[in-house]
Amino acid sequence: MMASQQQIPAHGEVIISLKDVGVRYKRRGGLFRKPEYFQALENVSFDICRGDTLGIVGRNGAGKSTLLRTIAGIIQPDSGEVVNFGVTVSLLALQAGFDPELPGTDNAIISGMLMGYTRRQVESRMSDITEFSELGDFIYQPVKTYSSGMRSRLGFAVSMFMTPGVLLLDEILSVGDKEFRKKAESEMVKKFHSDQTIVLVSHSEGQIKKLCNKVIEL
Amino acid sequence: MTQGNQGPAQAGLPDSKDLQEWAWQATHGQEWRLAAQRWALVREFYPDESASWIQASIAHRKLEEYDLAEALISEAVERFPQNSNTLRQYAELEIERGKFDRALELVEQAREKFSDDPDVIWSIANVHKKADQCSRAEQENLLGQEVFPENARLAVQYAEIAMQQKDWQTALERWQQVRERFPKHASGFARAAEAAEKLGNEPLSRQLKLAQEYGNAWLISLQEEGEGESVHNISPPQRRNWKTFVDLVWTKARLNLKSEANQNHLRYFWWILDPLLYMAVFYIVFGVLMERGGPGFIAYLLTGLVPFQWFAKTVQQTSGSIVGGKGLMHKVRISPLFFPLVGIVQNTGKQTLVFLMLGLFLVFYGLPPTVHWLAVVPVIAVQLLLMVVISCFLAMLVPFVRDISNLIPTGIQFLLFTSGIFYTVDRIPSEWHTLFFSNPMANILHQYRLVLVENQWPDWSGLGWVFLGCMIGLVIVLALYRRLEPIFPRVVIE
Repeated sequence: MMASQQQIPAHGEVIISLKDVGVRYKRRGGLFRKPEYFQALENVSFDICRGDTLGIVGRNGAGKSTLLRTIAGIIQPDSGEVVNFGVTVSLLALQAGFDPELPGTDNAIISGMLMGYTRRQVESRMSDITEFSELGDFIYQPVKTYSSGMRSRLGFAVSMFMTPGVLLLDEILSVGDKEFRKKAESEMVKKFHSDQTIVLVSHSEGQIKKLCNKVIEL
Repeated sequence: MTQGNQGPAQAGLPDSKDLQEWAWQATHGQEWRLAAQRWALVREFYPDESASWIQASIAHRKLEEYDLAEALISEAVERFPQNSNTLRQYAELEIERGKFDRALELVEQAREKFSDDPDVIWSIANVHKKADQCSRAEQENLLGQEVFPENARLAVQYAEIAMQQKDWQTALERWQQVRERFPKHASGFARAAEAAEKLGNEPLSRQLKLAQEYGNAWLISLQEEGEGESVHNISPPQRRNWKTFVDLVWTKARLNLKSEANQNHLRYFWWILDPLLYMAVFYIVFGVLMERGGPGFIAYLLTGLVPFQWFAKTVQQTSGSIVGGKGLMHKVRISPLFFPLVGIVQNTGKQTLVFLMLGLFLVFYGLPPTVHWLAVVPVIAVQLLLMVVISCFLAMLVPFVRDISNLIPTGIQFLLFTSGIFYTVDRIPSEWHTLFFSNPMANILHQYRLVLVENQWPDWSGLGWVFLGCMIGLVIVLALYRRLEPIFPRVVIE
C-alpha cells in the first residue's frame, strides 16, 4: 500500500510532516502464542501545510481512520514519525462522552471539555450552541429524550465551535435531518476557508474533489 | 393552432410541441448533428415555427457549415420579421465568420426595429466585444443596463467584457454585482472563481466555487468572518494543563453522580439510604441476632466496614475503567489517568455522605465525638491516596492482561478477611502483628478505630509509613503512565 500524492500548489509552510509512517495492530497472540500483526499503514509520507484542505481517500479498511488518529497523536506509529511543528491537532469528535441521562447543557459542557476546551470556554458559548442546534428548551431535558436527529444536532453544535490548528474530519458531513445537514455542511465548509487547515476523510470522491486542494490516496 | 399544423397532427404525427421538445433535447445536449436533423424534421412539418429555422441555423453554425446556416437564417429573417432573434443569430453567424462589419449592420438593423428589446442591446455589445472593441462594447452595455436594470444577461456581459480585457480585479467586482443582483445566476460564482484564479487568489477561487452551492449570503458571512476574528470560534489550549485536567475529572465525576441519581426515583436519597440499609443489616445480624463480639462490637465492625466498602467499591469499579474508556480514547486525546480518577472522585463524593451517616450512628450508639475525631481527616486522606495508587495501577494493568480483572473480586475478598474487620487485632498472635500491619488497609482501618471508637490520636508512625509507601507507589505509577500513555489506545483494542 503506497501513498501516492497528487500535488496541487499549496500555500503556507509545513506544519505537520509524516515520514514513512507505519502502523500495525496485533491481531492475536500474547503470552503463550506468537503474535500476529495486521499492517494498517505502511510507508506513508506527506506534508500538511498551513491552510491546506487535504482529502484522504481509500477503500474500506485502507487505514484512513488510523491515519487520522496518528496525525491527531492519539496513536503512535510503529515505524517512521509524525513531526508536529507546534500546532494543535484535534479529531472532530461528535457526541464525545455523551451521557443520555444528563441534560443537553451538561453534555455540551463535558463534551467540549473532553475536546480540550476549558469549562469557561464552553459555558461562554452555551447560547450559541443552543441556538445553532435549534433545540430550544429541549437543551435542559435529558439527552435520552432526544430524537437521534436532535442528538446529532447537539453534537455537531458543540464541535462547531472548535478551531484547532489542524482539524481532522472523519466522514462527519452527514449529520441530522436534511435541513440541518445543509446548514451543518455550509457551516463546516465555511471552516474550510479562513486559514483553517483541515484533513478530511471521505468515501465520496465528489466531496473530496469539491473541497480539497490536495488528495492522498491510501 | 394554425391551419397549417392541423394536417400533420391529424396524420398521426406528434404535435408541434412534442416534436420541438425532442429537437430541443439535442440542442441542449449540444449534439449539433442530431439537432440539425431534428430541427429539419420540425421544419418539414411545422414550417411556421420560428425555432425550427433559427435553431437549425445555429446547429449548422456550430458544425461550421456556414453556408447552410446562412441560407436558413436569412430565410428566417424573411419569414419572421417580428422576431429579433433572427437578426441577432444572423449577426452571431457573421461574427463566427469574422465579418464584424456585416454583423454590426445586422444588429443595428435590429435596433431600429426592436428598440425596447434588451437582447438586441446585448447582441450589439457582443458584436463589439467579439470585434475586440471593448470600450465600445462597455458603452453599449452600460446604456442597456440603464434602460433594463433587471436584465441579468446584460450584467453578466458587463463582467465578461472585463474578463476579456483580462482586468481580473474589475471582473471580480462586476461578478460580485451580478451575485448580489442575481443570486441564482451560476456564472456569478463560476466565472468569478476563474477570475480569482487568474489573480492567483486560490483560496478565494475555491470559496467562490463552493459558494455556488451554498449561496451568496454564505459567501458574505464567510468573508465577514474572515475579516474580524469570528464571534463563534474559540481555540482550545495547546495541551491540557493540570488545572483543566483536574476540572475535567471533577466535572465528569460530578456529572456521573448526577446521571446516576437521575436513574432512580429517589435520586440522591439513595446515597443515604444505601449505607443506612447496609449498616442496618450488620446491626441486626451481628448486634441483635448473634449478639457476639461483646459490647461495642457493632461500632468496631462498622468503623472498619464502612471505609473498607469505600475501598472495595472504588477498586472494583475503576479497575476496568481504561478498557471501558476505549471509545472515548479513540475520539479525543486524553490521558488514560482520567478514567480511574473519575471513578475515585465519584465514589469519594458518595462516601462523604456515608461517613456522615457513620458519625451519626456512632453518636447515637453512645460514642460522642471528641477532639480526636479531627484526626479522621488525615486518615481519610491517606486512604484516598492508597486508593489512587491501587486503582490507577490496576486500571493500567488490566488492558495488558485482561485476566487480572477476574482476580480482583477474589483479591478484595482476601483483603476483607485479612484487614481485621470482623475481629480485633489482639486476636492475632503478637509475632504476626508486623505482617498484619504491613497490609496498608489493615493499618488504615486500625487508625479509624483508634480515632472514632477509642477516642485516641492515630498511630502517627504507622500512618506515616503507609503514607510514605503510597507516595513511592504514586511516583512509580505516574512514571509508568507517562511511559505507557501512547500505547494505551492501541492496547485497549487489541
